[in-house]
Amino acid sequence: MRPQRSVLIVDRSEDSQEVLRTVLERRGWRTLAARRAEEGLEMARRYQPDLIVLDLELEECPPEDVYPRFERQASASGHHLIALGTVRPRGAGHGHGQFVAKPYHYGPLVRRIEQMLEQRSVVARAG
Amino acid sequence: MCGLAPPRPSHSVWEPLTVPSLFVIRGNDQGTRFELNEPTIGLGRDSSNRVQLHDTEVSRRHAEIRRVDGGYAIADLESSNGTYVNGQRIRLHRLRSGDRVQVGRTLMLYTGPAEEGLTDVRQQVDIASPQQTGDRSRIIHSITGEEGSRIFDFEAEVPQNSWLARARSNLQIMYRTALAVSHTLDIDQLLQRIMELIFEWVDADRGCIMLIDPKTQKLEPQVRHVRRSTRADEKITVSQTIVDYVMERNEGVLTSDARQDDRWDAAASILQMGIREAICVPMQGRYDVVGLIYIDTFTTPQDIIHNVRANKFTQDHLKLMIAIAHQAALAVEDTRYYSAMVHAERLAAVGQTIATLSHHIKNILQGIRGGSYLIEMGLADHDESLVAKGWKIVEKNQNKISTLVMDMLTFSKEREPELVPADLNQVTADVIELMQARAEELDVELHWHPDPAIPTLVFDPEGVHRAVLNVVTNALDAAAESPERGRVEVTTEMCAGEGRVRVMVDDNGPGIPKDQIDKLFSPFVSSKGGRGTGLGLPVSKKIIGEHGGQILVESEPNQGSRFTLELPAMMPDNDPSAQTDGPVQDDRPARAD
Repeated sequence: MRPQRSVLIVDRSEDSQEVLRTVLERRGWRTLAARRAEEGLEMARRYQPDLIVLDLELEECPPEDVYPRFERQASASGHHLIALGTVRPRGAGHGHGQFVAKPYHYGPLVRRIEQMLEQRSVVARAG
Repeated sequence: MCGLAPPRPSHSVWEPLTVPSLFVIRGNDQGTRFELNEPTIGLGRDSSNRVQLHDTEVSRRHAEIRRVDGGYAIADLESSNGTYVNGQRIRLHRLRSGDRVQVGRTLMLYTGPAEEGLTDVRQQVDIASPQQTGDRSRIIHSITGEEGSRIFDFEAEVPQNSWLARARSNLQIMYRTALAVSHTLDIDQLLQRIMELIFEWVDADRGCIMLIDPKTQKLEPQVRHVRRSTRADEKITVSQTIVDYVMERNEGVLTSDARQDDRWDAAASILQMGIREAICVPMQGRYDVVGLIYIDTFTTPQDIIHNVRANKFTQDHLKLMIAIAHQAALAVEDTRYYSAMVHAERLAAVGQTIATLSHHIKNILQGIRGGSYLIEMGLADHDESLVAKGWKIVEKNQNKISTLVMDMLTFSKEREPELVPADLNQVTADVIELMQARAEELDVELHWHPDPAIPTLVFDPEGVHRAVLNVVTNALDAAAESPERGRVEVTTEMCAGEGRVRVMVDDNGPGIPKDQIDKLFSPFVSSKGGRGTGLGLPVSKKIIGEHGGQILVESEPNQGSRFTLELPAMMPDNDPSAQTDGPVQDDRPARAD
């Protein structure tokens, strides 16, 4: 049986959180959600999700500061990161981080999430 | 009953902003304001610089702005094209308010922190009534501003040709130039006036003022003036040698073509040709030479024969012309900077508006896409609950766009409030009812305390509804941030004595930082991140302002805020159709109670 994958959604928009949680949970994945950067980082440390979907436009933290903090966290714990934003932050798209420009369509975003989680399963099995 | 709750300590709303800044007034980044709030700030083309300039003539790391005792200094980092402050190339320069920093093609204006002395002065100077001060002074003489201009008028006892008379005349002309300069922001009009003043005072025949075109850097004639007795169509030819001399050396010159050379028979030459004298002076402003003023006069051979004085222009004339030209140059510079600033501010405002609007519309679009995606999935999987969930999101975002459009319309329209007799308690109660669902969603208590003493008043119920709604929406969002249970209290009160009526909205949110209070009512400055449109409070202020009222803000960090919407209590007149007791008889449908 494949282990249940978990996705952390860090987004201040209730709508985006609700849509992603609904869609991902229907695919059998566990979801967690946070509205603020600090809260998101804390959850990432505590629950070690397989993937973080991070909207860079958070309150009380400029997008250029949000990305590196989550990128460091992702590198440290080896999980994937998808950043959603208007401007691509420096370094995004390399290593553990990917970038999707806003406004995005949910179909392609969900497919990308699926691919990344699948990739992770393959890596895990190979390991 | 007035003052249902004690007022909270308030922050003064008029306190000046103290963040030093560089404001781009020329160049690709025109309209951008860089706030300087770190000890060291990079300036250059590279994106690693806090002050990033999109200017190919700026080096990647061009200069550095460093905090030094209460202000900032700028240091050039050995850039290729150099750093200039007020036209001078610098290596290190302590910045002062009003300094112009030029790098590449970009020109910026530095504004320093507010002077500390300012607050001290406020504390040290009071305007008080005589009763308070015991001052028994009385006015023994008064003079109008107009009278002031006669300060240099000649008096009978001063002989006309004495040095005193000349000195007075000179002072008078300077005073009048200063007046002319202070009275207009139109450069052409100003230069014309200055030329007229010069002609009133000196025996010139022709004159012109040329300004350096900021774009082409070439001298362009602006104003030409000839004395009536001179032929009006006569062309003024100014020698290039003189112009170059004046502009390059920044010196005024007095010239005469009377032959000085002994090898010629001077007298004969003059009798044949007459004498042309000219004065040409640079217009030296605060920073640059902006142009020049030229006047000349011609003494005909006949006049010379008839013993009319030949040397009409003297050194005194030259000195005074330099002083006048300086005054005119200052005015030209001020006017130009003023227009550049207005233009840059306008560009900045337009840019800000577009950026903020597209941000909101983008977020709404994202919501609609999310909702639609769920509906699509629900339809494909025949899952009605998913369709319903998606539809709810789409609907919510439709409301958001409708609010945004309504706020935009209210804000942009020059509208008169539609004044009708209405019930303020009812209008406010409607808002409370409408917002109750939102309050529950946010887990915030929303309490309502109407003052039963409020009679039917004349106001625009729809406008006031919108104004109160926006303030309550804000309060709910603020209260939701409270570490305790969020709470919003809405209270109305009638102050019959003051002829005012108030709606007070208190929240127990985190409060508003002192420096943000000023910005609250500026359009598109939302402190609520993506939730606010940045138009809510400006719209409320506009509506209340149109009623002749005001919105007062009191806030204390970590304790909450109070917004007071204050309106003049206008009673309906005796028109039977607008009686307070009867139903409202108006073109508009009456509001249901």
